[in-house]
Amino acid sequence: MARLNDDAQWIILMGFLISFSFFFLAIIINQSTVVGQTTAESVIEFPKNDIRDLTGVIEYNTTVSNSTLVNSDITAIAMNRKNAIVRYTVILPQTPQDTHSYALIHYNNGVTEYDENWTSL
Amino acid sequence: MVRSEEGQLYTIEGIAAGLIMIMTAYLVVSATSVYTAGDTHISDMHLEQIGTDALMAMDTPPDIYTISNLSAFVRDDNGEGFKKMFLNITNNRTLSGPDHIQFTASYTCRNNVDNSIASYPLSFSRNLSGGEHAVRVTKWVIAKKNVCGNNYFPVQDRAVLVEVLMWRD
Repeated sequence: MARLNDDAQWIILMGFLISFSFFFLAIIINQSTVVGQTTAESVIEFPKNDIRDLTGVIEYNTTVSNSTLVNSDITAIAMNRKNAIVRYTVILPQTPQDTHSYALIHYNNGVTEYDENWTSL
Repeated sequence: MVRSEEGQLYTIEGIAAGLIMIMTAYLVVSATSVYTAGDTHISDMHLEQIGTDALMAMDTPPDIYTISNLSAFVRDDNGEGFKKMFLNITNNRTLSGPDHIQFTASYTCRNNVDNSIASYPLSFSRNLSGGEHAVRVTKWVIAKKNVCGNNYFPVQDRAVLVEVLMWRD
């Protein structure tokens, strides 16, 4: 390496450093879309409306006397039309000590399993 | 023959830098798979939300002594009433012309004698030809009705599942 001028080696080093930082930034950008997609998919997958709707109808069920008929309707129709296992047990208010109704809700559509201990307002 | 090796370091550096740039460019290009509205079903989710909200609004009674509109539509098999209210809620927009959402609705009920399930059409605004990109929204409705051939006296409250396929044409 005779007569090779290596005064500017640090410039080359800086060049390498900058290239590597670009490289890692590119990896981060590359992965960010994957992260976004996974999150979006799990948000879409979660049966938010189904479960909300179910708690709505259970709330109603805590006010009617013949709740077993409605309960069986929901179990059978949910399995048939939505491929979801829905079970719930309603505990009516123990008045006058406690005016709240309670319901243990189980929901499983094969992808999402959800259990809730629901309390009326 | 003059053998000069002075430039070898620069050549190696050049190759290394070139590889890094190519790798970076590859990563950047492969990362720009931008998810457009059609890809991520954002428009589907939007439509689904409109439908869910509409059914929710229709199933909300004005007070605790009155049954909801949706429950009454199911009880009376009032398809025209359902159609009018549903299209009103979904298609009306502020400061622009009406949207063009179409739907077909049915409800599913259970016969508790033989535990069978059956679906009945409720209403539709346009026939489904099969080419539509439809989303399904559902709503549990309590209706005081002898559904699916049940024969109760007095009539009991029953849970039916209202299903609406909706799409834009």
